[in-house]
Formats: sequence, C-alpha cells, structure tokens
Amino acid sequence: MSAERARRASSVSAGRRAAGFALLFAAFMVPAGLAILAGTGSATAGAPPVTRLDAQTALEAAGQVLYEEHCASCHGATGQGTAQGPVILDLGPAAYDFMMSTGRMPLAQPGAQAVRKPPTLTPAEIQAITAYLVSLSPGSGTAIPDVQPLKGNLSQGEQIYQLNCAPCHGANGNGGAVGVEAAPSLHKATPTQIGEAVRIGPGTMPVFDQTVISDEQLNSLARYVLYLRHPANPGGISLHLGGPVVEGFVGLVIGLGAVVLVMRFIGERS
Amino acid sequence: MSDSTHVTRNTQPAPRGPDEGRVSRLMMLLLLVAILAGVGLLVLYALGGQVQLEGILLFILLTGIGFAFILWGKYLFPTEIVTEDRGERPSPKAERAAAEQAYVEGESQITRRSALVRMLLGAFGALGLAAIFPIRSLGPSPGRSLFQTAWRTGIRAVDEAGNPVLASDLVVGSVLTVFPQGHVGSTDSVAILVRVDPSELQLPDGRNDDAPFGNVCYSKLCTHAGCPVGLYLAEFHQLQCPCHFSAFAVLKGAEPVFGPASRPLPQLPLGVDQEGYLVAKSDFTAPVGPGFWNRGSGA
Amino acid sequence: MIVPRLLDWFDERLGAASFAKKSLRKVFPDHWSFMLGEVAMYCFIILVVTGTFLSFFYIPDVRDVVYHGPYKPLDGQSMSAAYASVLRISFEVRAGLVFRQIHHWAALVMTGAVVFHAIRVFFTGAFRKPREINWVLGVVLLLLTIGIGFAGYSLPDDLLSGTGLRIGYSIALSTPIVGTWLAFLVFGGEYPAPDILNRLFVLHVMILPALIAIVMGAHLAILWRQKHTNFPAKDLTNDQIRGPRLWPRYAFASVGLFFVLAGVLALLGGTAQINPIWIYGPYHPITASGASQPDWYMGFTEGAVRLFPGWEIRAFGHEIPEPFFPGALLPGVIFGGMLLWPWIERFFTKDKLQHNLLQHPRDVPWRTAVGAATITFLGVLTIAGASDVLASSVDISVEAMTEILRWVALVLPVVAFFVTYLLCRELRSNDLHPVKESKITTVRRSKTGGFDTTEEEGGGFESVEERLGL
Repeated sequence: MSAERARRASSVSAGRRAAGFALLFAAFMVPAGLAILAGTGSATAGAPPVTRLDAQTALEAAGQVLYEEHCASCHGATGQGTAQGPVILDLGPAAYDFMMSTGRMPLAQPGAQAVRKPPTLTPAEIQAITAYLVSLSPGSGTAIPDVQPLKGNLSQGEQIYQLNCAPCHGANGNGGAVGVEAAPSLHKATPTQIGEAVRIGPGTMPVFDQTVISDEQLNSLARYVLYLRHPANPGGISLHLGGPVVEGFVGLVIGLGAVVLVMRFIGERS
Repeated sequence: MSDSTHVTRNTQPAPRGPDEGRVSRLMMLLLLVAILAGVGLLVLYALGGQVQLEGILLFILLTGIGFAFILWGKYLFPTEIVTEDRGERPSPKAERAAAEQAYVEGESQITRRSALVRMLLGAFGALGLAAIFPIRSLGPSPGRSLFQTAWRTGIRAVDEAGNPVLASDLVVGSVLTVFPQGHVGSTDSVAILVRVDPSELQLPDGRNDDAPFGNVCYSKLCTHAGCPVGLYLAEFHQLQCPCHFSAFAVLKGAEPVFGPASRPLPQLPLGVDQEGYLVAKSDFTAPVGPGFWNRGSGA
Repeated sequence: MIVPRLLDWFDERLGAASFAKKSLRKVFPDHWSFMLGEVAMYCFIILVVTGTFLSFFYIPDVRDVVYHGPYKPLDGQSMSAAYASVLRISFEVRAGLVFRQIHHWAALVMTGAVVFHAIRVFFTGAFRKPREINWVLGVVLLLLTIGIGFAGYSLPDDLLSGTGLRIGYSIALSTPIVGTWLAFLVFGGEYPAPDILNRLFVLHVMILPALIAIVMGAHLAILWRQKHTNFPAKDLTNDQIRGPRLWPRYAFASVGLFFVLAGVLALLGGTAQINPIWIYGPYHPITASGASQPDWYMGFTEGAVRLFPGWEIRAFGHEIPEPFFPGALLPGVIFGGMLLWPWIERFFTKDKLQHNLLQHPRDVPWRTAVGAATITFLGVLTIAGASDVLASSVDISVEAMTEILRWVALVLPVVAFFVTYLLCRELRSNDLHPVKESKITTVRRSKTGGFDTTEEEGGGFESVEERLGL
C-alpha cells in the first residue's frame, strides 16, 4: 500500500526543488529553512537522492548513522528501496516505529517473513532512525497514534474486534493462518503497536483509517486486545483457548483414556 | 430361553486375612474421603460456589464411591467364572409352524376381501398425505427470496453504525462492511467494500465503471457455504473466507482462485450520488451466497 | 430381610421371581473392551441429568435482548436471548458453569465411546449373524449421537457454533431438486431463519433423547436376549458363554464404572474450560472468527468440505453445488456402507452360520484392512478439518497444507489397507494357529530310562494367550 502511494504521489518537479533550495540557502535562516522545507511536499521513489543541505538535529544525525548501518543495505541510502527491500519513504513514523519496536525490522536475513521477535534496536535507536526517516519526507504518511486504552470502552472494543479483527487474528487473539501469511498473535502488542498496526496495515493486513475505526474506537479496541492477554477463564484451565481442536483431544485422550484405564483394571485383559 | 443345562464353574474364593483387610481398609478410606467431599460440596454451595472446587469435590465424591464399588466387586467377592449353555437357538420347527398357523388363521379372512384391503390401503395413503401437510407449515416457499436482497438502485451504502460512506472515505488497502441504508445487519444484503488502486482493476464485462475511484463492492457471503468473507489480504488483493479458505481475487471480479468455492462473489455495482456518497446502481450481479438447484446460469 | 420381602411383593403382582432369578444369575463376559458400550450409555445418563438442569435456564429464543450481566466485555451489547441465557448459566447460576462444562465434556466422551465401541464390534466380527439387527441399531445410535451433539452445541447461538449452523444450512440448500425447500422448511425460511434455534432445542431435549433412549433400550434388550459374545478360549464352544455372573460381581463393577466416569467428567467439568462462548461473542451472520472448527465428531465433514475442490455440476439452468458432495453424499455413502456392512461382508464370505465367538482382527485380514483404511480416511478428514491450525503450527500456507492433505486423504488409506493386510497375514503365520493342524508330541521318560513318544492332533479352539499360558 505504501509503495502504491509512493508511486502515485505527484512529484514536485526537480527544477522547482532546486530553486527552492537556492532560495533557502540564500535566506540563511536554518529554522525557517526547515519550516519551509516541511511544507514543500514529498520526495518520490524515482527522484534522484536528495542532498540535505540544511543542518539536521542531533537525533536525526544519529538516526542517519544507524540507518546506514542497519537498514540501507535493503532499503536504499535514502529509503528509495533496492532489489532486496521495498521503498519506505512517505510511510510515516507509525510504520517505522511499528516495524522496529516489534522487532520485525531489521530482518534476520533478507527475504525472511517479517515476524515479531525481540527487537535488536534499543528504543532510543528506534526513535533516532524514525526521526531520520521522517526528516526525509516530513509530513507524509501515518503519524504515531496516541492510544489510550483506559479511555476506551471494553464492550465497544469487543464489538469492533469481532467484526474487523477476529476473522484473521481469531476470537482468542492467538492469530492464525491467513492464506500464505500468518496473522500473528496479539498478546505481546503494546497499545501503541496495536494502534500503529491498525493505521498502517503492515504486511498483508488491510488499513483501518479514522473513517473505519475512529480514534476513540481505537482506544476501545486496544483495551479489548489487552484484555485478551488475560481473559476471564472461569471454567478452569483455558487450554490456551484453543477451541474444539484442543477440547476434542483432551476429551478423548485424557477423558476417555482415563476411563479406559479403569475399564482395564475392572475387566479381563487377555 | 432354556435354562442352563450344562454349567461349569471356575471359582476362586474371596481373599481372606491381610489381603481382605487391606482392601476393605482402602475402601473405608475412600468412602470416608468421599463423604467429606460431599459435605464440603454442601458448604461450598452454601457459600456461593466456585467452579474448580465444585469439580474437584464432585470428582472426589464420585470416584470415591466408584472405586469402592469396583474394589468390592473385584476383590471382596469370590471370583466365579461360569461357563454355561447359551440356550437360544432358532425355535423348534413345531413352534415356528404353530406361530405361522396362528397368523394364517386370521389372514384368510383378510386376503379374501381384496377390494376392502385396497380401499383400506387407499385410506391409509390419504391419511399419510394429510399427515405430511403440516410439514408445509414449517416454513415459507423459497419463491424469489434467494434471488434478491435489500439493495436497490440509489440506496446508499452505510457502515455498521448506519453512517453513509463517501467515495473518498476509505484509503487504498482498506476494507469496510457495508449495508443498504435502512437495513443495517441484513444478512443477505451484507457487502464488503474494498478500496483499491483503480488502475489495477480488471473487472469483467466493462464493470470497471461500477467501482468508482477504486471502491469495489462485493457480497460478503461466500459462494461456497455462506460464511462471511472477512479476511482481506491487502498485499495480494484477495478476500478469503475463514471457514474453508476459499480465496477471491478482488481485482478480477472476486473470481475464486483457491479453495472449494467455484463461483465469484457477486458484485454490487456502485455509483456516486451528488453529495459524494456511494450508492448502489442495482442489486448484486448474481444471487448471493451458496449455490442451489435452480440458481440459473451462474455468475 | 428387605430384599426377599420386596421380591415377594413384586412376584405377587408381576410373577417376577423367575425373571429375577435368571437376570441375577446372567453370565456377563467381562473383557475390558466390552465395556465401551456401557460407558456410552452411562455418559448418556449423565448428559440427561446435567442437561435437565441446564434446560431449566436455557431460553431457545433468537430475539434480541441487551446484556447487563457480570461479564463486562459484553455489557450493553445486543444479543439473542438464547446467548444471554447461556451467559447467565455460566456467570450467574450457582453450579451453572460446572454443570454446563460437565455436559459438554460428556458429549465429547460419549461420542468417542460410541465410535470406539463400533470399532471394537467391527474388528472382532461381533456384527455377524445373529447380531445384525443390533449392528444396525448401533449405527443408528451413532448417527443420533452425532446429531444430538450438533444440535446441542448450536444452542448457545455463539459465533463459533452459529457459523457451523450456517454451513449446515448451505449443505441442505445444495441438495438437488429439493434443496431450497428442504432448507426453508427445516430452518423456517431464508437464512438466518430464526425458528431454527427453537427447533434445535426441541430436537435436542425431546425428540433425539427419546429416540436414543428407545433405540438404546432395544439395543440392550436384544443384547440381553442374545447374550454377549466371547473371545475364543480353551474349551469354549460356539454354544457356550463364559464369564462372571451379573450379581454380585458384574453389577458392582459396572456401577463402579458409572461413578468413576461421572467423577472424571466432573473433574474435567470443573477444572478444564470448554466452549468459552463469551470469548467467541454472540452470533452475527456477518462476521466469523479465524480458526473455526466444529466439535471433534463433526470434524470429518469439515475436513471433507475443505479438501473437496470447487467442482459443481451445472446444466440447463440447474446445478448441484459443491457442498453437496462432501457434505451430504460422502457421509451418506459412509454411513450407508456402515449400516449395510453385515450384508456386504456376507456377500463375499457366504457365511450363514451363527457366531457367538469373536474373531481376532488378524484372523480376518481383509476386513481388518478395510476397517483400517476407512478409519485412516476419516481420520485424515478429521485432521483436515483443522487445516489452518495445522498449517500455522508447521508454518506453511493454508493452500499448501490443503494440497498436501488432499493427497494424503487419497493415498494414505490405500497404504493403510495394504500394510494392515500384510501385517495380519504376518501375525497369523507366526501364531500357533488352531486352524493349522498341529501335532502335539509328548515325550515321556520311562522308569527304565528310555524314552517313548506319543503324538496326538492339536486339539481345541484355543487362543494364543491360552496356549502360551498368559
């Protein structure tokens, strides 16, 4: 989805940009220059790499170093993509933060499926790389949502979850097979990560923007997903909420099995 | 049943002494614990109950009684294995002949009067037919109901909350469950709206006009067994059904690309009204949901 | 003192003394595998007891109510009165949840006991003359048990069982010629037909239990009359029966089995959560959860429907849609074959004798192989019912898993057939088999130190275990 948007986005012509930079440079006000730059639209995949002529913040500079070390080999020097990795410009901070904080990125090897794993980057490093990538295409893409589960309504969250999320992630949040991909388990997701995933649609997940799930509904949804980590299990051992598959196994092997042992004790065995 | 005529017994006496003592002491213990568990259950119920303790105490009570019976049967009675004649065989010829005769005595009076018999059978036939007819009351005639839904030309698409949907509401890669306005929750009308890049659409028969700005809408009911097709794989533009994993290619008119479904999801042709909201141009392009005998020539 | 007086009381009115004598002295072969049928019967009793309790609280009504009970994630939501009543049983009725869970666990165990009992009867040839009637009644009981289970777990009207009910509607709809009428009359209209829940309730608490009780009663009466079969043993002829008497040994053991079964089910019912309908949510036909499976005994139909490709027959404006073949035709063929098996077998063996002695499976290699192949086929289908769970656990796509299972379902039963057949033949040739004439040579040492030998024919119909003194 991000690739499509990148390809479709109308580009500011190279000529206009060069003139703009010359003007900025001539105006010699760095903060002003940054502010104007922020408003002049986004870079595109096909355009030649942008040379940053204005000063970066310290965070962005640190991010650039980290980016070149961990990400550039697959995603290109300025996020324009290579044979091994897609374009990541214009995605916005939500995408960058989600991918790195869930440990999906960097990939263990190029070409592996992006799955949650313990992140190799520290939160500070993630913040730096995010800041750098945002600075390459400021103002575009999805912002990191501010998710407040406690402001949400648990029951409203259940309803939204049942309609939009349960088909892929399962009523129990354990995840499941979805065609060639696997919808992951939700039990380790933080509220922010839940919000980010909903808003960016990582991998093959669809996008749910504010018209489908409002910010207030997102709070409720996050509250319910967090509830699924430790749902009420008044019935006893939850068997991982595995459903009839596990229940059938337990009923036959443990239930009937125990009874068969008693039968063998009672009856003749030869 | 003839009485057992040939009986042999293989009897071992019941255990005595320390063996018997050991078994009966074990049983006493089991039954004592069972009684305590029973009392515990009463107390538990009085206090309001608790699911796990109820199960555990019931288990102790019931298996205590059960094992007491089993141990008693297995160890405290003399073990007697008996071999005896089974006795039942086909009855002696005379007996069978007598049975046949008992029937035949009445039969001749019946079979002689063939006309009466035929009328009687006719009356029973009529009774049978009359008795079947209340079954007709069990449900309505299928009629045309499987061929139409609540969608009509000009009806707006609304979401679960009843809000109409603008053509610009969804972003590319987004999905939304929609209904005809005024019929939120209607099962046969439920549809799934997907926003795709319009340049990628390859709808059949010039139906590209029916997906304004890349908003393409299909029936949400799987054409295999009717489950709601709620899984959207955005990267592959596939709608998948969670029941038996039929997959439908959204860009190509939801034609089935995998699984037991053999017909595409019927499309809901969409237009845009003057205020920018998505409206149906007509009902679905084919009857929705799973197939049936007279569904027609197929989508 | 009490019992003789009771006996007199009944005898004066019913002439029951003779029947009582015969019954108490009745011989009951007590091989452990003969008790599977009993376990099924005892499960039925437990189901009736727990089910009666539940039926006092369950409301078979699909009309919407708004929930304000203790389970907060559903607070304020609109749901059917049926679903709300099961929430009430689970969260508010004292002993409600434990009874509900015992009930559901008992259903899983009962169906398992019936299936394993049928398997035991099949492989030991107990269905042969004169027990064909009981075999037919038994297959009927199997169908009734599966049916009452399906009806039962659909009653809570939760998202998981409701999805299964929808598939049932579609299979009915797919029947040639009469499909639309069948679905509309059984369910009461176009889906989601609201009448179906009440009809399932009537089936589940009245019609099917009554039928099961009647058929089970006939099954037991015939068993009582014909007497149970025996495994072959030394000095046991086809006209004899061997075992302990009903009173007191067998009766005590059997009653004990009932209570232990009840105890095991109670333990499961209290400590192992089953069917947490509050997590699935109330049924709405417009959504479904991933990883949806039916209860285990319906798994073979689910697997068949997943694996069977999208082949439909279409001609002249009419069609036979795909679900009909795996959903109706396949079970029909399988259960029809099961019902007719005694006669199918007789067609090949031409065996018209009465049999009261069982066979060891290895002694009938071809029947054992057919049984093994059928069980393998149904087993693969049952596993295929959870194809997505299996796919995600071994990290391959559902498409790949489906393809693999399709081939496994076709090939593995054939392999099982041949392997079982050859195994039976191998085991037989290694046994000291009574059919093979063996000569017993006895060597005695005489007082004078010489040896003399005597030979005799190997006699008797003796089991391997008897011969080896096990």
